[in-house]
Amino acid sequence: MKIKNNIILEANGLFHIYESKAEDGNVVALRGIHVAIVEGEAVAVVGPSGSGKSTLLKSLGGLMKPSAGNVSLAGKRMIRLTGKELVELRQKTISFIFQDSNLLPHMNALDNVAQPLRHQGITPKVARAKAQKLLDRLGVGERSRGLPEQLSGGEQQRVAIARALITDPKLILADEPTGALDPITSREVLKLFSDLNKDFGVAFLLVTHNREVASFCDRSLELREGRFIAQHGNDVDISDLSESRELIIDDTGTVTLPPDVLLKLGGPGRFEVPVNEKDTIHLERVENEKIEININKKFILSPICPACFYKYSESVTQLCPECGSSRPMIESNN
Amino acid sequence: MNSSDGSDLMDKIAMREGEQGNNNIISQSENQSENKISVNMNFLDYLKSLPITSRIISLPDNIIMASKSSWRGRERVLAAFAGVFLASLVITTVLAYSVGLSTAFLQGALENDVFDAQIAFDEDPGKDFRTNDSVVWESVCDELIEIEGISDCGIVYGRQGIRSNSIFDDSNLKAQPLVVESVTASIGDWKNVSWDYPEATEQGPPINDNRPIRFYGDGVWDGELGERHARDILYGAWPSNHVDAENNRSIILPSQIASRAGVSINDTIDSLTFTFVTDSAGGSSLEDISESCLGDVEVNFDSGFQFCRENITVNNLKVSAIYQEGQFGNPTLLFNPVIVSDSVLDDSQKLILMDNDHGYLGVSVDRNLLPSSTTSAATSWLNDLEKTVEEKEYADSIIKVRYNDVISGTILFLNIFLGIIQVFDYILMIPIIILSFSVLIYGLVLSLEQRKKEISIHRVIGGTESNLTGMILLELTVLGFLGWFIGYVLALLSVPLVLDAVGFMSFRSSGTQINPTLSFAATSFVILVNVGCTLLFGRTRIKDFLSIEIDEGVRKVARFKKSRFWLHLGIFVIGGLAFLESWIQSNGGWGPFDSRGIFSNFIVNALLLLFGPFMLWIGGALVLGRLGAAGPRIFTLILGWSPLVTDIRRGLKGSGSSESVNRLAVIMLLTLSIVTLAAVQGYTGTLVDERTTSAENGADLQVQFSTPMSETQARNEILLAIQRVDNSNIKDIDSMTSVGDIFTSPKGEDSRLRTWIVFDGHEETLLWDTQTIPTYVSDASSLWRNNWFTAGSDARSQLGLSSSDIDNFITIEYTDYDFSFGPDGLDISTTVTDANIQYMGGHRWIPGLEPTQSSQVIVIGESTYRALVGNQTANSYASNKWFFELCNQKDRDCADALRELSTEVSNVIGVSSSTDWPTVHEDNERKGGLIFGTPGLLSLQFVVASLASVASAFVFLSLVLTQRKRELAILQAIGASPNQIIRLVLFEIMAILLVSMGLGVILGLAIAEAFNGFFGIFGFIFQIFLGESAPIDRELIWPWFDLVLVNSSVLFAVVLALLFTTRKALKSDLAIVLKGE
Repeated sequence: MKIKNNIILEANGLFHIYESKAEDGNVVALRGIHVAIVEGEAVAVVGPSGSGKSTLLKSLGGLMKPSAGNVSLAGKRMIRLTGKELVELRQKTISFIFQDSNLLPHMNALDNVAQPLRHQGITPKVARAKAQKLLDRLGVGERSRGLPEQLSGGEQQRVAIARALITDPKLILADEPTGALDPITSREVLKLFSDLNKDFGVAFLLVTHNREVASFCDRSLELREGRFIAQHGNDVDISDLSESRELIIDDTGTVTLPPDVLLKLGGPGRFEVPVNEKDTIHLERVENEKIEININKKFILSPICPACFYKYSESVTQLCPECGSSRPMIESNN
Repeated sequence: MNSSDGSDLMDKIAMREGEQGNNNIISQSENQSENKISVNMNFLDYLKSLPITSRIISLPDNIIMASKSSWRGRERVLAAFAGVFLASLVITTVLAYSVGLSTAFLQGALENDVFDAQIAFDEDPGKDFRTNDSVVWESVCDELIEIEGISDCGIVYGRQGIRSNSIFDDSNLKAQPLVVESVTASIGDWKNVSWDYPEATEQGPPINDNRPIRFYGDGVWDGELGERHARDILYGAWPSNHVDAENNRSIILPSQIASRAGVSINDTIDSLTFTFVTDSAGGSSLEDISESCLGDVEVNFDSGFQFCRENITVNNLKVSAIYQEGQFGNPTLLFNPVIVSDSVLDDSQKLILMDNDHGYLGVSVDRNLLPSSTTSAATSWLNDLEKTVEEKEYADSIIKVRYNDVISGTILFLNIFLGIIQVFDYILMIPIIILSFSVLIYGLVLSLEQRKKEISIHRVIGGTESNLTGMILLELTVLGFLGWFIGYVLALLSVPLVLDAVGFMSFRSSGTQINPTLSFAATSFVILVNVGCTLLFGRTRIKDFLSIEIDEGVRKVARFKKSRFWLHLGIFVIGGLAFLESWIQSNGGWGPFDSRGIFSNFIVNALLLLFGPFMLWIGGALVLGRLGAAGPRIFTLILGWSPLVTDIRRGLKGSGSSESVNRLAVIMLLTLSIVTLAAVQGYTGTLVDERTTSAENGADLQVQFSTPMSETQARNEILLAIQRVDNSNIKDIDSMTSVGDIFTSPKGEDSRLRTWIVFDGHEETLLWDTQTIPTYVSDASSLWRNNWFTAGSDARSQLGLSSSDIDNFITIEYTDYDFSFGPDGLDISTTVTDANIQYMGGHRWIPGLEPTQSSQVIVIGESTYRALVGNQTANSYASNKWFFELCNQKDRDCADALRELSTEVSNVIGVSSSTDWPTVHEDNERKGGLIFGTPGLLSLQFVVASLASVASAFVFLSLVLTQRKRELAILQAIGASPNQIIRLVLFEIMAILLVSMGLGVILGLAIAEAFNGFFGIFGFIFQIFLGESAPIDRELIWPWFDLVLVNSSVLFAVVLALLFTTRKALKSDLAIVLKGE
């Protein structure tokens, strides 16, 4: 049932720089990200802390304007859209799920779930009815009148998920969606994601550290230093990415080697490319210095004026006293 | 599958699961309900195309959500709520106060007149639309009472019909009253009773200076008019109805007449002769009436009219009651008449009076219907009534009437008077309104900052800017209305109390029932201002706020606003100038400046004194707020060495820098300086009123006799009155004195010098003020005993005295003239005595005597006086004016007793007036004094500002602490003990608070001084408009006790709030606090 042809979200050459007045200067969070997510696809983004995952998620979701680059959502370039159009586009296509549920503290669970529809101008009664059904489905229907602080972490997260689902999104962007949940609840949540994904073509972009989460996805992208360096298949082992890694070379020809690969390679250095054919590249470390540069030459002031052949002898004057031409430098012979 | 087909994902999952056999029944039923929803959705999709419809449908729910949300987030909205609440409270109170003030004034002013209008014939005698039949005329009353607004009516034989609109035009001056000519009776000393009533023309237009008389018809004795008359009865009882009056042949006497005649209730009068006017001439016509006049021709030289007066005598009257004479209010019907039942007149006499236009209808209007909220509303209501009455024709269209309003003249005066008072009071309340709004703004800013995360969440889940703005504004609207309502209700409840304030923070029920209500327009105005301002401020803040990128909201990046320090400093400096100016002026000069201050230009000076205090206040709070926020740093510098803070020093380093701490300091400064201002000015005002009273009345009781009385005579008169009154609070005269008055001349000069004598022991009776004499009263008294003297300003220039002449001697001469009949006829012998007197300094006034006269005199002591006139003359000293010390005049029971005694004394034969301290004081407080009923407002300001300071300290602290929760959690996480954290927070906040408090009080004192100039400006305006002269300078009094009380309660509240919130912060889960934003 999957429809794989339509690209729902596409980013090209995404850069983001956090300006900072601190000593270390600006922080470059994203360095030329290219990514495309097709309808019904589930993609995980893995990577260490500080690799730019959250920034990426916000840029892709249109919550933040990247410093450079372009994001298209459902074929529309978000950068070109005004605030209101952007929000309307987002309302219909994307939902977010965060690690901490980010529920509105002063509304009960039901109103929290109904709120996105209310923002779209749907009447409270209808919105609440739909919200209640979602909450029932997620097993927290009985707690719908509870305030967020009265709910457990798992319940909160389920409410947050219900809130994300209520707008019938085409894509869900999730930042560690099961991070605050116990294993059993997170499995249930993943099952739900999986159902949504497989049967109804909802696309997912998940940022995760969790193997189970990553394994639910069709592919995982490895993010380092603000750049996708590798892609993994659907059974990724987060603790050892080397097994499943496929390195990415983007259209600028950039490739970044993950630390473990680099370690195996024997550290940084220079490499020859003895084999470079279609689909294959072979590198060999260059041990010897090929080019010897020998700069022993020393320049001194010319003893003779090249124009009138005046002899300067010991004088250090820069101008020829005879003809007024400037005194050149010449190579010293010793 | 394409999800755009309108059904939703979860239900499809449900269907799929249903197919799998799980929850079969449930999912089926759910499917049904889903269908229903889909239908709804379709219908609503249509509605959605009309965004307004959907908004309206959602509105009730949105309001409920907004209310719930504000209630659940009450901590953060409390500050904003407090702002609206305070603003509503203050604005409503000020508005209701002025309504109440005009009601009170109106009530007070109307009490003087019994009749609210004279209904006269519209045409002059001899023309159409009149009648001389008193029965027909009286029957018009029945028609008049039918008119809404007129409550009672009766025929009165008295003043002639007035057919003019101005009090001073000819027609008005021409309309004459009936006046008493003579009375004969076997009982009572009627021969000595003078029927002259010169006060009538002194206090009003020159109509007639004899005692008027009125004959009341049936309608006046009972009903509303009867009740009003009955109120003033001192002795006896007002006849219950016209039959009663008829049977008794009742006469009701004014108190002065009764006491002069020495008659009491049920005494009979054999005959009473009064005169009426048959003809008049003068004004524009030069016709001579003396030939045609059958009676006496009377010429009124003031108005230029001649009147022909004839007599009527009525016999056999019985004194039914004696009434207390009223003030000289509206002159329309003239003052304090003798009242007799009209049944004593026979029909022919009535006919004569009717023919000569002496019959009118006296009516009362229903004062409950009279709008008292504003004087202009009352005026227009009365105008409408007048129109209604005059438009009709009466008694089968044979009579047209003229409505002569008695009330509106009173109102006209009130209009001017109240206008000035209100402007003054409005200006006075500006600071507290600014204060409320600054609490509101700061509260809004803080609560929005706290909502950053919430707003970001809303934006993430698809809230547009307009959605969110609408949401927050709705919440603010709910908040605004609630705050308005509570403030409004509370204000209306508190206003009667404010109006009853007789001094700063001292309240006494005045007896008048005032329940001010605000008109619909005024109420709407209050709502508009309150809710409107909330929304306006809210909107701009939200706009700023939403323009921050979501991501920034999440990242908590605050944009730094450019500080307007230089602007603040500039404002502060101008304010400081105003302070200096006011101080120099009250100090009478300083350095190179004289008493006119730095700016001698009147306009610049006035502008500075009017606006300066406000600038000082706001600028001062903003500038000094920085110092307050730096409190922790200051205290660390001072206490850094002590073990109390050594371990938390590091934690203190970053404190005081955050914006909210700065705001806390500013708010504390704003509120506490207002508290100080209100307390200082309130106390000063109260004291000024008391001092003004003391200066005016001179003693507990001041009695003016019509003939000079010796001390013994005066004492005996008053003692008798004391016995008659028989009040346990006044048993005896504690002391009494008089101020002697002779003429002397400086030795060797012809010029005469008015010289007043203060007798030994005067200081026990006279209420001296330190402002009037060069030294303390006790010192001055002993100096006077030892031949020293003081001089008023005019006397000083007459004698060429300057301040360098103090301690110098001058010699004055007294010439005694001795008249004797010798052989050559009248023989005048003169004896000249002189006395050396030493100059003590200037006096400004003498208690109880005219300040203008005081400036022309020198004041000597008794010994000097005796040396000048000799013991014999001194021992037989007699004076018209005596002062009595009876009890502690500020004591309430004593005050009541004094009032009672004063009334009694004023009715004693030979007493022309008697004034008591409490009555004069009340007068000063309510209408006369320097600050016009402002003690109530200042008390209110004091209470509100105190509340605001405690409340805002509480609210802002908890906000600041919530903001710092994370910081505290981090400190805890890295090993700080709860004790250390509490100490850290306590030290930090207390440091801010103590510094702000100290600065606030200092600023408040400075503002109070600066406002003194402002009070001075208004005093000047009052004097121009009202001719009030107050000799008292506004010397500021510092009520330290109240200041300490308020400041310590603020401190207490803050410590309480601190312990509470810090504890809460400490108890909360570290992990959650640290993890969450």
